[in-house]
Formats: sequence, C-alpha cells, structure tokens
Amino acid sequence: MRVRRIAVAPQVLEFASDDPFAARALDALYHAAPATAQAPTLRYGLRRSGPGEPGGYVATSPARAPFGPAALGDAWAFLEWRATEDLLGGADRENVFLHAGGAELGTRLALIVGDSGAGKSTLVAHLMQRGHRMLGDDVVRFATAEGRFSAVGRSLKLDPKSLPGLPLIAGKCAAGVVGTLLAAGCYYVSPAAIRRSWQAPAARPWAVVLLDAGRRGGPGGVERASAGEAAVYVTQKVLGDAADGAAGRKDVTVSILESLADVAAYRAIGSDPAAVAEALEREAAA
Amino acid sequence: MTATGATGRPVARPDLVLRRVGSEWVLYDAAREKAHVLNLTAAVIWTYCDGSFERASIADAIVREVPGLDATRIKDDIDEVLRRFADEGLLR
Repeated sequence: MRVRRIAVAPQVLEFASDDPFAARALDALYHAAPATAQAPTLRYGLRRSGPGEPGGYVATSPARAPFGPAALGDAWAFLEWRATEDLLGGADRENVFLHAGGAELGTRLALIVGDSGAGKSTLVAHLMQRGHRMLGDDVVRFATAEGRFSAVGRSLKLDPKSLPGLPLIAGKCAAGVVGTLLAAGCYYVSPAAIRRSWQAPAARPWAVVLLDAGRRGGPGGVERASAGEAAVYVTQKVLGDAADGAAGRKDVTVSILESLADVAAYRAIGSDPAAVAEALEREAAA
Repeated sequence: MTATGATGRPVARPDLVLRRVGSEWVLYDAAREKAHVLNLTAAVIWTYCDGSFERASIADAIVREVPGLDATRIKDDIDEVLRRFADEGLLR
C-alpha cells in the first residue's frame, strides 16, 4: 500500500493505493504540495476491487459510501471530485478555499475566476509558461484575518487540446517528467514540473480576471470590467458554500471585499488564451 | 409603504456593510446573502441614510460637498436611488 500525506493547511490530505498506476495518479494530483507526517484530516483511497467483487477500482473518501468497483477513470474522477469539494468545504476560522485560479505577474497577483470549463487552467498554464508563478489552478486559499490569497499546490488539469499552444508544458508531458500525468482524458501537470519556484507569495489581488465560458472567437485580449461586479462574483459565486465552516460568511465576505479595495477588473475576450495572457502582462506592467 | 421612515427621512438597515472596491462600492446584505454594486453617487446617498436627513437636505448636502453638480438632477438621482434602495429592502 502506497500512502502519501500532503499539507494543504489547515487540511492534511492522505492518498492511499495498492495499485502502482493508481498511486501515480494520486501522486500527480497534489504533486507540488509538501509532504507531511501529520495526522490526516481527509483520507482518500483508490484500490483494486477485492475477491468476490466485480473487477475494477474502488474509490473511498470521507463521509461518502465507497464508489465502485468501476473503471479506473471513473473511480479517479470520483476521487478527484471529492478531494476538491472536501477542500472547498474544508475551511477553518482562519482560512477558506475558493474555486479560482491565479498567477503573479511581476509583483502583481491576478485572481482568475469563471465557471468550470471557462479556461482558468489553460490561462494559468499560459501564464506559467511565460515565466509567472502560480497562485492556484482550481483552488486558492484566502486567509480571513490577513485578507490575503495564497497558493495551493494542486496540479493544473489541462485538456490535451490546449497543449499545442503550450510547447514547454507539452514537452514535459511527452517526456513523462515527474509530476505530469495523462489520466481520464486530461493531463495533470504539477506547477513544480514547470518551474522550481512556482508558488506566488500571499498577497492581495491586483486584478480579478473574469472568464466567461461563452467567449467569442477572434483576436484575444482583455477589457476593463466593473470591479464591483467582479467583487460580487467572487464573494457570491466563487466563495459559494466555502465560508460555511469558517469564521462566518459575513466576516469572510467583508474580508474579501476589503482585500479587493484597490483591485482592477478585466474580462477576457476572444478564444486565444495566449493573447489573453499577453494582454494581462501588458496591463500588469502598465 | 414608506421607504424613508415615519419622518420622511431615509434610514439604512444597520446590518448592511458598505465597502469600496476599485472605483465602485459594494453594499453587502448578509441576511439575504446578496451584494449590490453602487456607483459613487449612490454610495454617497447611502451615507446620508441615517434618519437625520430629509430628501431635500440630502440633495443640499451633496451639492455643497460636490461642487459643480446640478441641484435639480441630483434631486432626481436621489429619488431614483432611494426608490431602488427601498425596492431592494435596504432601508428600514
């Protein structure tokens, strides 16, 4: 049985598997997060089905019935879903996790928000390929007392269709660099596999970048958006139910609003994430 | 329904939180889990909704504070903003 515990403060996630391939998949999910010997707060397992069970894999997670036996891809998808949702709901008095991405451009932190499938991961990957450090792919941490956002070492989940525009990352995936994995139709790419110093320092955001799933094609870039509307999106939609376990929704919301006091807001336009990344760089340098 | 209290002076719900975000303002209503984006004029009007100002005196105060404003227009703006505040249940 291979067991790996990683710290995503305040949580300690444990991933265990008796299958070498499944264990590698579990390693890839939070590859960049630091290992820890602390007692786990959230435990996940991915094992081969046992004698008397139908063939396949069984996924286990906190407070849920085991999933499976099922195909490895389905069991993995269940486990990934639970590991994300549990973390998003895993707030304590000091920290909440938000469903967002982000990167540091120079010394300016951009918080990237949008619905699932809007292209957060792809934009973060483009920014990383251009030499910027990552705040997060799907999950970022917000410290309620300090009012600062900080990085979570979750791997980038990339559609293979996005890789041709990401030659640096595609090369690492093709070479099987540790921390990259093709699983269930997508690549999991550890930020640590892209650059050694991957982690953006904790900060208040310089900008909120809104990604709409239905963006039209054409020349890509960014346009200025309402900072107020962006803040409402972050506190109402991105925060979601995450604040329920924290100090209190009102306090968390007010803390986020205060952290966004001097924020600029941009809306991505066009379907070319490379052009959006380039435009954001220009805005951050201005 | 009166949106401006028994004395005709608008009174903001005390549980709401107003915070600046960029060049705009967000009024957060925790009880209804809703947030409203206000422009500067609406945010300034909100700060006068403490029960001690009649509509006309809000307009006079804003015109005094912000030189160059059209007094007639600001009165119309105040009526519109206060109606929206009332419609959204933001006043007592």
